[in-house]
Amino acid sequence: MHIPDGILPAPVCAAGYAIAGGVTWAALRQINRTAASPAEVPKAALLAAAFFVGSSLSLPIPPVSVHLMLTGLLGALLNWYAWPAILIGLLLQAILLGHGGLTTLGVNAVMAGVPALLAGQLFRLRHRLAKALSPRAALGIFSFLAGALGVGLTALIFFGLVVFTMPSTFDPATEQNLLTAFMVAHIPLVFLEGLFTALLCFFLLRVKPDLLK
Amino acid sequence: MIANVPARRRELSAAVLAVMAVGLSPVAAIAHGAHVQARTSTAVQIEATYDSGEPMAEATVEVYAPDDPQTPVFSGSTDDAGRYTFVPTAPGNWEIAVRQAGHGDIAVVPVEADGAIASTFANDSGLSLTQRIVIAGAVTWGCVGTALFFWRRGK
Repeated sequence: MHIPDGILPAPVCAAGYAIAGGVTWAALRQINRTAASPAEVPKAALLAAAFFVGSSLSLPIPPVSVHLMLTGLLGALLNWYAWPAILIGLLLQAILLGHGGLTTLGVNAVMAGVPALLAGQLFRLRHRLAKALSPRAALGIFSFLAGALGVGLTALIFFGLVVFTMPSTFDPATEQNLLTAFMVAHIPLVFLEGLFTALLCFFLLRVKPDLLK
Repeated sequence: MIANVPARRRELSAAVLAVMAVGLSPVAAIAHGAHVQARTSTAVQIEATYDSGEPMAEATVEVYAPDDPQTPVFSGSTDDAGRYTFVPTAPGNWEIAVRQAGHGDIAVVPVEADGAIASTFANDSGLSLTQRIVIAGAVTWGCVGTALFFWRRGK
């Protein structure tokens, strides 16, 4: 789910950078305001590594291949720290692996980072429902939803961007068939990432519950 | 072409009949002649693959001439093996954009005066698996190092 250079028209790339700049400012302000505990930085660094490696490995889901994103997981565990972690991960991927591109860095950051932040907010809603349900059930449900939201929203933004910026010289039918196949291949990934996030949260609940605050 | 032959023959015989009848020269009939010539020229073939090594079949290709990076001179789609061939008409840097479902790449091919690709041009086949693993390991180690640094400082 990385848009490479040369696919999007220049105004879209510029808008991507503008939005990414605004979100970076907001995220850093939030991090500063909460007088972040020092334990957050090592956690963010480790999850940035997981994001970099996870979204570089491709999983074959015929007829296409997709890759893990882990953006929902980052959002759930890091909240506002997820944004700088994703931004740094994407920058390193663009420079070192040629995955994505420097002109589309802003667009890719918005595409992966905004769903991560929303997943983070969704994950925090579990405290509201912890009384109605049992805390364990609330953790399970909301971690699954956060993981699924991260992938699902990223895939939808990708689809929207590619469809609305398709050059008029293209044959829309063939292009849309392929895009649809690509989107359908992400449905299993939505469940897979939801499940993975839930399992990891249960694991953390057992070994280091203070990471889930 | 083959389907046209009887029709043309009919027209021709009609013309001959007209010549015989009226005695005009058969100028109109001569304009129906067609010629096919053959020559050898140098073409550029590109091959587009995904990161996984799979060919990009049926991907949209747009070829831009060196003097106009805005409007494509040739456009078409790759074959099942991800290949597309075109004949450059002028020397310079030809840009070939290949894209499919939001994925794609742009290649710049330097073409010399005789139509051949410049000898300095190197095909970029991307990173090998070992290179990818080394890069991923280096980045992971960098992140772990950052984590350890802040973890110690936090204590």
